[in-house]
Amino acid sequence: MTQNDNQVFCSVVIPVMNEEENVPHLHQAITGAMQAWGRPYEIVIVDDGSTDRTFPLLEEIARRDPHLRVVKFRRNFGQSAAMGAGFEYARGEVVVTMDGDLQNDPKDIPLVVAELQKGYDVVSGWRKNRQDRLIIRKVPSRLANRLIRKTTQVNLHDTGCSLKAYRREVVQKIRLYGEMHRFIPALARIEGARIGEVVVDHHERKFGRSKYNLMRTFKVIMDLATLNLFLKYLTRPLHFFGALTLLFNGLGAATLLAMIFYSAQNNLSIAELNVLMSLGFLLVATGINFLLYGLIANMVVKTGQKHDERLHEIVHFPKRGFGAGNN
Amino acid sequence: MLETTKISVSSVEPPARLVESDISENGRSNTLPLLSVIVPMSNHGSEAQTIYRALRQGLENYGQSFEIIFVDDASTDDTYAQVLAIATRDPRVKLIRMRAACGETSALDAGLRHAAGQRLVFASARVRANMQTLPRLLRKLDEGFDLVVGWRTPRQDAGLNRVVSRLFNWLMQKLLKLKLHDINSSIFAAPRRVLESMTVYGNLNIFIPVLAAHQGYKVTEEQIEQLPGAFRTSSHVSEYVQRLLDIITVVFLTRYSKKPLHFLGFFGIIFTAAGLVMNLYLFVYRILDFGAIAGRPLLLLGALLLVIGLQMISIGLIGEMIIYTHAREIKEYNIETVVGK
Repeated sequence: MTQNDNQVFCSVVIPVMNEEENVPHLHQAITGAMQAWGRPYEIVIVDDGSTDRTFPLLEEIARRDPHLRVVKFRRNFGQSAAMGAGFEYARGEVVVTMDGDLQNDPKDIPLVVAELQKGYDVVSGWRKNRQDRLIIRKVPSRLANRLIRKTTQVNLHDTGCSLKAYRREVVQKIRLYGEMHRFIPALARIEGARIGEVVVDHHERKFGRSKYNLMRTFKVIMDLATLNLFLKYLTRPLHFFGALTLLFNGLGAATLLAMIFYSAQNNLSIAELNVLMSLGFLLVATGINFLLYGLIANMVVKTGQKHDERLHEIVHFPKRGFGAGNN
Repeated sequence: MLETTKISVSSVEPPARLVESDISENGRSNTLPLLSVIVPMSNHGSEAQTIYRALRQGLENYGQSFEIIFVDDASTDDTYAQVLAIATRDPRVKLIRMRAACGETSALDAGLRHAAGQRLVFASARVRANMQTLPRLLRKLDEGFDLVVGWRTPRQDAGLNRVVSRLFNWLMQKLLKLKLHDINSSIFAAPRRVLESMTVYGNLNIFIPVLAAHQGYKVTEEQIEQLPGAFRTSSHVSEYVQRLLDIITVVFLTRYSKKPLHFLGFFGIIFTAAGLVMNLYLFVYRILDFGAIAGRPLLLLGALLLVIGLQMISIGLIGEMIIYTHAREIKEYNIETVVGK
């Protein structure tokens, strides 16, 4: 017990799962980098239900190193949950996240934190010269980043880089759930964070493999749609659903008008008119449904935690005349 | 909704065997019973004596200090009087009476709230288990499991109950990949910390083993004898429908509740795409002047699919909003240990 809770300056949070080969190197590399830097630090490793020797190894290291804290999950709960637990146990003023596979260099931690202290709430690493094979990983990643920039209003070249630094306030404020660990900067952006980036090193993965698949791409797209909605309409969902209401009621009205027009012209059969009428009613009913969804969404948002309280800072706050007499 | 008739507060005997971890966890004094057995009763007055005697015998043989909490779910027969008579004679018996019939989940909740033990056994009077065999569950807990489900063998139930139960368990095994024979037995034992870490509502108490396994707890089963006798069969089809809906709830809760749009969005997009393709086809058909489309049923089908797809996506988005709104209150993980200070 060499340090006090509030003395920790930087918490390094790392979710791991079945990384027995990497864990000793990881600990060594981070310890080396942090000792060289000289600021009080702690390492929080979250073991996301490893089935190999990851936890016993970590436990042994933690017995020797008072800087290390290991949080062990009962089973595999996924990376978002692991990140969330790491944030909860981190005590530093600054929280730095990293992957457990040593693709990022812990020597870059001071660099990212320095950038953070220039006045940002979140700073992401940017793997400018990626060490992955070209076509298979670089191109999809560049495309994905463009899509993410467009939908989440977060101007980062490399959202996928796991080396990121956060101010403590941000970590406490963001709402991490589901599989949103991929988009923590976007979640922070929703809460009103100022986001920056800095170029960092990148090494090839030494052990193990990472994987891409179609289902994951689909999930990512769904999450992006959600984030996009939150970003624009979180405090006023009725405006979003109201637009759908207008669209569908407009289409419905047009269909019904066409039906009336055709029936006056007398050039459609009764069966054909019936189909048109049903279509019109269907569209109108749907439009009304969307309106109701919007109302429910408003209730959901209003009954939950307040969303309007975004991050801010008081820069200059002169005393006004009318408050002067009674303090 | 709760009227507590506490007959005794403190247990008389010292505990025969202490489980160290269980006590030190909450720093509780060891004059409290180690075990609390919660028995919901709903018009089981005639069986009260039998249940009590079997329980006492079984638990005394097992040797840990215990208390028995009968929860009278507003019975209309003499359950209350019978249990009260037992409780006045035996200080280890507590009686809780619900003001109105609220069901077993509420009974479990009320029992939990008033239980002093660090290990809890839940055994509904309804399933007519031989209470003498309950300590088998506790021995299994001693082996290091987090929750032990009673597996009624041999089943003495009415034929219909057995068939429905078999079907239910088969479905649960398939959907949730949990290898238990009798998930819905309403008999289980677990340390307090396990039960307290789960939120159970409605009539989801029969799914407690499923939810516990989902939290990462080690769940197993142990055979329990069942007494022959008069069993009630469900009189309404609605009960089976409800059971089926409960299964859907649990599957959704354990798999998708934290990411509703991943689930609803998938079907939503398939439906929307199918509807779009149909109507695009009709649109092109009309533009190229192959004929009128107003009378084509495909037009309605396409529109319907499109509409349903969009509604699914909307509901998924609302689900995401609900979770986002409460994301800071909901913990999505269960921590086993924390090493380091």
